[in-house]
Amino acid sequence: MIVCVAVVGHQNNPLYIQSFNEGDDALKLHHIVHCSLDVIDERVNNPKKSGPMLNETFLGLLYPTENYKVYGYLTNTKVKFILVTTDLDVRDADMRNFFRKFHAAYVDAVSNPFHVPGKKITSRTFAERVSNIVKSFGLGSSG
Amino acid sequence: MGREVAESCVDSLLIEMVSSYADRFYATKPELAARRIESIGYQVGHQLSERYTMDRPRFGDHLDAIKFICKDFWSEIFKKQIDNLKTNHRGTFVLQDNRFRWLSHISVDPSPDSSVTSQDTSEASVENKAAQAASMHLYFPCGIIRGALTNLGIPCAVSADISNLPA
Repeated sequence: MIVCVAVVGHQNNPLYIQSFNEGDDALKLHHIVHCSLDVIDERVNNPKKSGPMLNETFLGLLYPTENYKVYGYLTNTKVKFILVTTDLDVRDADMRNFFRKFHAAYVDAVSNPFHVPGKKITSRTFAERVSNIVKSFGLGSSG
Repeated sequence: MGREVAESCVDSLLIEMVSSYADRFYATKPELAARRIESIGYQVGHQLSERYTMDRPRFGDHLDAIKFICKDFWSEIFKKQIDNLKTNHRGTFVLQDNRFRWLSHISVDPSPDSSVTSQDTSEASVENKAAQAASMHLYFPCGIIRGALTNLGIPCAVSADISNLPA
């Protein structure tokens, strides 16, 4: 199950962060997202380690914690998408697919002429689309 | 799934925008009008670059991004690629388009200016006026390019130069 998704701008400013579990406290998830920014920075600045995935937008598994796995995605415009999940065996293809849909939703949200670049994404349509994508991800991987 | 719009609509919109800003809102301050038009372009370019780079691998360096602007971005917006790309390898790039789509319908107004008497000067002034009007129409595309490059992580200044007008 996906417990948290986040969009972080090119100056590491949070643009959108949303957790999807009731019980766990959101602060912990935010902390995990925050930590993953360093991992992304390291990946991007030391491209040798990541090998063949050199210039892909999908960054793969950033790091596992006890209960979660964190995945990352970096767009050409240096916007980061971060996903925290409790699923321990996720297929890369599913993850790529998720991020592609998520990216499409993000692009549509920032193309709104009333959206101010660099400010938080407040669009309700975006929130709705994201929660739909998150829900359908759970179905896709189980079925 | 992209929705399409007739090219004439885009042309008309551009012409109307330029004339609104240059002749009405800021009729007395042409530099201000230019800046306003450029900043509209900037926003458009900012958003378009987000969309058009969606399915691409990340750019390795600035040259990759410039190539993207010359090829894919240019063909998305102006329906053709850049004809010539030059650089001094110090961060200046010159992109040359021999048939810039958005100016291809602009022509010199042949009706002579009544206030000018001599034949030579009137021709020169008509030419001059046309160039001025055309350059006014280039602030918007300049803004688009600047917005796109800035969003791709390359802060820059973009200016346009017309060597000879079509028609």
